[in-house]
Amino acid sequence: MTSVRFSLNGESAEVDVEPRELLLDTLRDRLAAKGAHAGCEQGACGACTVLVDGSGVRSCLMFTVQASGTEVRTIEGVGSPGALHPIQQALSQHHGLQCGFCTPGMVLTALELFETDPHPSRDRIEEWMSGNLCRCTGYVNIVSALESLAGTGEAPS
Amino acid sequence: MKPPRFDYVAVRSVAEATEALAQTEDARILAGGQSLVPLMNLRLARPRLLVDVNGVRDLVGFGGRNGTLRFGAMCRHRFLETDPLVHQKAPIFAETAALIGHVHIRNRGTLGGSIAHADPVAELPALLVALDGRVIASGTGRERAIPAAELFAGPFTTSLDPTELLTAVEVPAHTDGDGGAFSEFVRRHGDFATAGVAVIVHRDASGTCESLRIAGCGLGPTPVDLSAAGEFLLGESELGDGAARELGKRVAAASDPPGDVHGSKDYRRDLAAVLAADAVRRAWQKAGAARRDPGG
Amino acid sequence: MSVAAPPRAPAQTGTRRHEDTRLLCGRGEYLGDVQRPDLKHIAILRSPLAHARIRDVDVSGAMTVPGVIGVFTGAELAADTGEFSHHLPMIPTLRQITWSVLATDKARFVGEPVAAVVADSRYIAEDALELIEVDYEELPAVSDAKAGLEAEAPLLYEDWGDNVFLYMPGAHGDVEAAFADADGELRERFTHHRVSGLPMEGHGALGEFDPSTGRLEMHVSTQVPHTLRTVISDITGLSEAKIRVVAPDMGGGFGNKAHFMREEALVAVLAMRVRHPVVWQQDRTENLLAGLHSREQVHEVEVAYRNDGRVLGLRANFVVDVGSPELYILGCAPAIVTTGVVPNCYDLQDYAFELRCVATNKCPMGGYRGYGQPQGIFLMERVLDLVGERLDIDPVTMRRRNMIPDEPRPYVTATGAVLDTGSFDEQLSELLEAADYDAACGARDEARAEGRLVGVGIAQMVEPTAPNIHALAGRFGGYEMAMLTVQPDGRVNVAVGTKSQGQGHETIYAKVAADVLGISPDDVAVSDGDTAALPYGIGTWGSRSAVMGGGAVIKAARQVRDKMAAIAAGLLEAPADQIEASDGFFRLGEAAIPFGQIAAAAYLHTFLLPPGMDPGLSVVVGYDPGNTSPFPDERGKLNVAATYSTAAAAAVVEVDPATGVVTVSDLTIVHDCGTVIDRVLLDGQIHGAVAQAVGQTFFEEIHYDENGQPQTSTLLDYMIPAFGDVVRPRIVHRETPSELIGGFRGAGEGAIIVTPAALAAAVHDALAPLGVPITQANLSPSRLRELLRAHSTA
Ligand SMILES: Cc1cc2nc3c(=O)[nH]c(=O)nc-3n(C[C@H](O)[C@H](O)[C@H](O)COP(=O)(O)OP(=O)(O)OC[C@H]3O[C@@H](n4cnc5c(N)ncnc54)[C@H](O)[C@@H]3O)c2cc1C
Ligand code: FES
Ligand code: FES
Repeated sequence: MTSVRFSLNGESAEVDVEPRELLLDTLRDRLAAKGAHAGCEQGACGACTVLVDGSGVRSCLMFTVQASGTEVRTIEGVGSPGALHPIQQALSQHHGLQCGFCTPGMVLTALELFETDPHPSRDRIEEWMSGNLCRCTGYVNIVSALESLAGTGEAPS
Repeated sequence: MKPPRFDYVAVRSVAEATEALAQTEDARILAGGQSLVPLMNLRLARPRLLVDVNGVRDLVGFGGRNGTLRFGAMCRHRFLETDPLVHQKAPIFAETAALIGHVHIRNRGTLGGSIAHADPVAELPALLVALDGRVIASGTGRERAIPAAELFAGPFTTSLDPTELLTAVEVPAHTDGDGGAFSEFVRRHGDFATAGVAVIVHRDASGTCESLRIAGCGLGPTPVDLSAAGEFLLGESELGDGAARELGKRVAAASDPPGDVHGSKDYRRDLAAVLAADAVRRAWQKAGAARRDPGG
Repeated sequence: MSVAAPPRAPAQTGTRRHEDTRLLCGRGEYLGDVQRPDLKHIAILRSPLAHARIRDVDVSGAMTVPGVIGVFTGAELAADTGEFSHHLPMIPTLRQITWSVLATDKARFVGEPVAAVVADSRYIAEDALELIEVDYEELPAVSDAKAGLEAEAPLLYEDWGDNVFLYMPGAHGDVEAAFADADGELRERFTHHRVSGLPMEGHGALGEFDPSTGRLEMHVSTQVPHTLRTVISDITGLSEAKIRVVAPDMGGGFGNKAHFMREEALVAVLAMRVRHPVVWQQDRTENLLAGLHSREQVHEVEVAYRNDGRVLGLRANFVVDVGSPELYILGCAPAIVTTGVVPNCYDLQDYAFELRCVATNKCPMGGYRGYGQPQGIFLMERVLDLVGERLDIDPVTMRRRNMIPDEPRPYVTATGAVLDTGSFDEQLSELLEAADYDAACGARDEARAEGRLVGVGIAQMVEPTAPNIHALAGRFGGYEMAMLTVQPDGRVNVAVGTKSQGQGHETIYAKVAADVLGISPDDVAVSDGDTAALPYGIGTWGSRSAVMGGGAVIKAARQVRDKMAAIAAGLLEAPADQIEASDGFFRLGEAAIPFGQIAAAAYLHTFLLPPGMDPGLSVVVGYDPGNTSPFPDERGKLNVAATYSTAAAAAVVEVDPATGVVTVSDLTIVHDCGTVIDRVLLDGQIHGAVAQAVGQTFFEEIHYDENGQPQTSTLLDYMIPAFGDVVRPRIVHRETPSELIGGFRGAGEGAIIVTPAALAAAVHDALAPLGVPITQANLSPSRLRELLRAHSTA
């Protein structure tokens, strides 16, 4: 067991874990950050996306020991039921989520996109988001939601 | 789908890394983890010790000296894709790195990891072959250079010793008259390529083709050197549409790709023809443009 | 009146759906989020061989791993648990089999569960799996239906003598006469490949057993919690009164979760054995190997037609690879549906078929959005285009000549479907207009002149919705239940027996209930998926939720509203039928009593109730429109559907002949699901179904090698569409209300049923200059290149 400390959504977290424990499992099972989901554990779906030191990673491909000393941000640190983040609001308004399983990963990936480029084109949105799979929405309304925030698409209805 | 047990050490220097590798059987380097961890989750890889080199400063960075460009093994794909200096000095690396996976894969995945992993469909190993580059490998107390031509031994197999750390990648510096292009076919944006072709052309001041190197991914058990297919273009100063297509045909004929769920042998050959023609057109044009516009 | 109207619920932060806030904040409770103190984890050892006799399973090594609570084999568990069966003894040509939660004597596909470990963590459980030693005697495998039908084929069940799991013939009308009258005959073979519904969250179950009360509580990611309770009762021997099944938030289902997985029952059995809460979560590899697969079929058809384009008769031979047959509801069910929908919206009464469902050493086949219909529709739509091509009659004319006329309704199809639809003719006209069909054809001709392979294709479908599953499951009829309670404060709770997997039922049902009660949907809280909240329910599948669940909710709301109106009538001293409920009041002309005050009267100030009226405002209703049949009649005709939806699609594509890549440049869907409850949510269903249609046509294929070894066990090998593969359909809604409560016809599947046929038609049209006909559903780049290559060398 190794003791690992990192910051989780601005608060310090400390856990004792085996080196093999995936960050995804630590977040979900030890730190009650259940918004990161296991969609594949093969690095292929993006449902487990979190931000580590501001950049998006797949928490199913990172061992918790590797997060030592970092700042981890999860969906729990993005918006709250009383104060949704604009990305969350846009997704709801455009009906960009159905089952919601992919949604936290989508929100975090989009967050990093808008930090990198506040006015992404549709192509850029699709390229940037390409690692996040959704089986419900056909992506149509997710793209519309993000375009509305980019100021390149139609405004939310 | 959870990884088996292993020991873990985060090292700070190349020496610490090589020592750790030497001391434990079945020790493995952990770089970006974007290939190794999925395999561990599937229990297809089960190292006893993971040597995490993410904190080794000497393995990052990029610079040029004596006509050679040197990349630290831990250069992330995303760094190659976005760094202005890389764009200027090694534009083909920026172009190629942008083709790898999705942004979050590129945030973590590394140049050294991709080459050491030696996936036959990966882009960077093919690029290394096309550029006729080499890698620097460190064992305890020794260092050697392995040319690309001697590095890739089979699918997911290199001539690196298990106790060696790949520390750097070296390629000839980009010069006036060089033009490179990487064309690939992916089913969806960010997928591993079904097939890909890198073409590196050098044209002299008059526009004549002096050298032309070609390598493919997804076209054989390793990245394959297909340069021989382009010999007929040496000494030419124009590249007509017919010549580009002819190159495509020759590349397709010269490659012996595997068949799998992503495409049959024949399908990959079909792609090789299309991709090689596209890559040579783009590389040829860039080589000409580079002449007129040094720096570009 | 002294009771104040209740304050409005706090604003839902402006979200479109009631469920959005928690899902957006990562606070949904999916199966993997359900926490229990002392929860133990199950990992399942799965057969690495496609076909093998299990001689011995040695678990002693696994038992020694620290943190392991128990290791269980099939033989051990079979000794004292019930068995699965298909519950269809009435079908004489179906092989009657039983099976257990784990394989006992034989493993029949790679991924079949053989043993299970319960441990402190999934990590440890998987460590222990590696130490279980199974002595397998490997047997030759049957890798597809054709191989399975060969005389010398290895047998999955030796006592059958062959591998035919189900043989089902059907003969309607006079096919021989139709062929005798025909001007020409077309023979064709259509193929459909294997895909998976692939919800982003796999299957999973958590079980807790309390020995002191004998109660079992299960959380299961299932579309059918109540019927699953019945099955869990079969297997565990517990009374249904002692079992509660809760389906929490679900990360998709798409029909894959409308079957009863043996792993779900395994969790129940293990919970009772180890006396700890236990959880099994299917990981992605398990999901791809042993979740469910769908669609794989081969059709051989003979068509009798007249020179004016009329299709007179059709004979079809369906050969279906159902994989291992050990799945309840049986994997033949979608294929049976295929045979039923073939006539589609065309006036074809002379139709005969033979269906052979062949057991093979592959993952069980099961339901996936569309449930056998995409294949049946593909057949008929391709036939019309191919016959039309022979006769030089364009696709639109072919359809108009064969279409079921507008009158009469109902129209009874060859297979017994009692169609209550709107006009197919008008629907087609609307499609052509919305798609600007003539212009698209003109643009195609111009592109063709430039040497580009552009094509336009159309397709239509009629979909039996809200079906009665009895004929396929041996029980569970065509009805739904709902409970509606108005609380003393005027807020409303609705519980319903359907189960949302992302469709937004909390929002939809709130709206339909609120409309009846004359209140705001924000004051209605909907829950689904809990067997403790409602006596029974049939779940969500078959586009049934709006029709059946919506119908039940409306029925319940009407009953409660009528009672409240009676209370209001008493207070206002007027007849109840003059009272109206609207905007939160019960009104009689100018006089109005707030909804909440009536609610308070019913519970808190019961002296205000009319004499003899019982207190309380809560009803449980069952709703069965009563127009479906549980069994085929003596002529083999069966109307399973409570009503019918229709749709039509037009696609424009371009094929890159060098790479085989097809670009869908335009897609129009005209859709008639009766009364539309929420246009935006409905469009979302269509977007998702279109994406899945695009996926199965151009991206997805489950591969096995000739030894039955699966080749697609990760999401890098099994490719579902991603961003960038988006097709934005143009959607037109026709609203032809059904005669059922609410006027609904059912939605969710139409677009995946009709789109593959339209895409195939468009690709066929694009390749017309090369003369390469499309008779396969798989149009992935490599498959299309294969076709082009074969054609150019032929
Ligand atoms: C969804 C997804 C999509 C992807 N798409 C692509 C793609 O399109 N193209 C592509 O090329 N790759 C793709 N990848 C893989 C990705 O590029 C990996 O980053 C890369 O292949 C390996 O780099 P890494 O740094 O992650 O290495 P790791 O996964 O850390 O290691 C890989 C192997 O190399 C060894 N190794 C790593 N570094 C060294 C070193 N310095 N010295 C010696 N041995 C070393 C490790 O021990 C291990 O055996 C994808 C991955 C995923 C999950
Ligand atoms: S769970 Fe991590 S990428 Fe799918
Ligand atoms: S909303 Fe269900 S997977 Fe995206």
